[in-house]
Amino acid sequence: MLDALGMLGAGFGHAFQGGVVLHAFWATLVGIIIGALPGLTATMGVALLTTLTFSMAHSTAILVLICVYVGAIYGGSRSAILLNIPGTPASAASTLDGFPLARQGLAGRAMGISTTGSWMGTLFGALCLAVLAPAVGEFALGFQSYEMFWVAMFGIVIAGSLSGGDPLKGYIAGFLGLFVATVGQEANHAYPRFAFGSTDLAGGLGLLPVLVGVFGVAEVLNSMRGPAVQAVASKIDSILPRPSDVLRYWRTIFRSGAIGTFIGAMPGLGEDIAAWTSYAAAKRASAEQEKFGKGSVEGLMAAETGESACVPGAIIPVLTLAVPGSAPAAVLMAAMMIHGLNPGPMLAISSPEFIYQIVAMLIIADMVKLFYGLVLVRPLLWVLLIPRERLMPVVFVLCTVGAFAITSRLFDIWVMLGAGLVGFVLRELRFPMAPLVLGIVLGDLLDKNLLRGLVLSDGDITPFFTRPISAVLAAVTLLTLLLSIPAVQAGWGRGRQALQRRLRRAG
Amino acid sequence: MSEADTAASPLAGEREPVSPRADLITAAVLLAFGLGVVALSLHMPTFVEQSGTGLTAPGIVPGFHGTVIALLSILLGLRAARRGGLRAGGAGGSARKDLGRLSIAAVLGVIYAAVLVGRLPFWLATALFVFAFTAIFEWPRGPQGRIRRLLEAAAIALGTGWAVVLVFEKLFFVRLP
Repeated sequence: MLDALGMLGAGFGHAFQGGVVLHAFWATLVGIIIGALPGLTATMGVALLTTLTFSMAHSTAILVLICVYVGAIYGGSRSAILLNIPGTPASAASTLDGFPLARQGLAGRAMGISTTGSWMGTLFGALCLAVLAPAVGEFALGFQSYEMFWVAMFGIVIAGSLSGGDPLKGYIAGFLGLFVATVGQEANHAYPRFAFGSTDLAGGLGLLPVLVGVFGVAEVLNSMRGPAVQAVASKIDSILPRPSDVLRYWRTIFRSGAIGTFIGAMPGLGEDIAAWTSYAAAKRASAEQEKFGKGSVEGLMAAETGESACVPGAIIPVLTLAVPGSAPAAVLMAAMMIHGLNPGPMLAISSPEFIYQIVAMLIIADMVKLFYGLVLVRPLLWVLLIPRERLMPVVFVLCTVGAFAITSRLFDIWVMLGAGLVGFVLRELRFPMAPLVLGIVLGDLLDKNLLRGLVLSDGDITPFFTRPISAVLAAVTLLTLLLSIPAVQAGWGRGRQALQRRLRRAG
Repeated sequence: MSEADTAASPLAGEREPVSPRADLITAAVLLAFGLGVVALSLHMPTFVEQSGTGLTAPGIVPGFHGTVIALLSILLGLRAARRGGLRAGGAGGSARKDLGRLSIAAVLGVIYAAVLVGRLPFWLATALFVFAFTAIFEWPRGPQGRIRRLLEAAAIALGTGWAVVLVFEKLFFVRLP
């Protein structure tokens, strides 16, 4: 305990050394602006800003990216409240009560609630990360290739099941992502897979160019296709958060924080699902259910707390298992690798202090977010008025720079273009992007551990199912897969109803 | 029904599902893709001499992914067929009103990233792209104020070219194309 507090203190000390913390101010501001602008997402923001951090020390770079991530998830609520258009998918649930509040002339109060909920959510999640990550990391040290294979499979299956509404398309997206990760030289024999004689393809498809394409270029195309965003014309009342809101809804805040952190820790689910689940749970438990969807303070508080608690939650599996909890966390993980950090089970042994540095960074980002939440209301209104015809070409330019910068290959720009066009088509066909990203990120983990496991067991697949942790992970994965099949869902529902009837009769 | 019930929750499924015919075509493309991946994986060397067992063959993992993609695409195809994807006239789907805007954005993006970048100085390529993009998309607003809008577009374009070079190359030492 004292060790942990010492390392947390050192983490803060590290952030305050040499003015590193000053980076938190501009990065959080950039994140909030990115989040607030419809069409720009947190994933895109973290991917684009990764480019800017190449020349920075790794701790500064990660601080910048965490600030962008935290800021963008919060920033999305601005357009959700003022325009009824979520700035990021994570803020979709905030439109339900945020916009009605704004229409009632309470836009300022709604933004105050959003700021309070988001601030408390991230704080709650950061504390959970400080407590849980070392324990999970220590537990994960016992994982071998068999378990890591199932962790990767579980990530794909759970993300495929829950992230898009159509599990079948989710699984296909996940396996397409896994396939993308196999392009290029493999680890055992350096054989160039799917290279077709091209040295560029033999080098593999870079993670960052693909992600920038899927989230940046595809967003630009999507944004230019749709109807123009209507300008906001909302009066802003007092934005100061009210302590009475916090005291009155402390249960909702606590519940949403726990739900958000838990969903964040599940591979690939992300902030949007955290927000919706927190919102649904708050509605079920509320004494004011009739207000939900009509300007409920509790509903907005729940959605904001849930989505913001998800951010630290999504970083827990990154640090402990090298499995991202959300799409922005996947990019953050890629950035950690680019900076020479190796997230995963060994982190708890090799540099346990890094976990607490991340906690300190999250808390700093959260505080800066609170500061901007209180002072940056009117300037953000102007930002929201930038026409997309002027914004999107600039975003496209940043995508191009981001794709090129990591290895200085023009080939990466073409990869970005290709990934953007394919990503756009897949979105149009209602394939969810989260499993695709997770597949790309987890592909290498799955590839290496499947082959290593097979070599260790001399081709015998039984250890994948008989080792205790492997068996549990396999069972959970297969159960998730089964429960996503409509016929099984229907059978499960009928069985549950029959059981309830029998219990009622017996009672 | 309340607003909450009709909201676009990712847990509630897509509000505007894609047509069964589009799903059927997608399934066919994905099936061909999956089978192609399997075929290419089977043609990869197995390196039995080096490994002794062939368990590190490069084709195992992509072959597995290709097989799963092919199987899932068959399921997608069967589901689409059951939902009426085989019926004539099922292709419909929602009208693509914005296809023109989308095509212009895509073509401009491809011209910029695949043609201009690397051939022109980066600031110039960027300025040309930003100006063309803004001017083309703002053109339909009509002749009133067009000159002003074009001048603004030119200013934004030059400003973007200059700012990107300044921020990335000079401030953060990032190499530009």
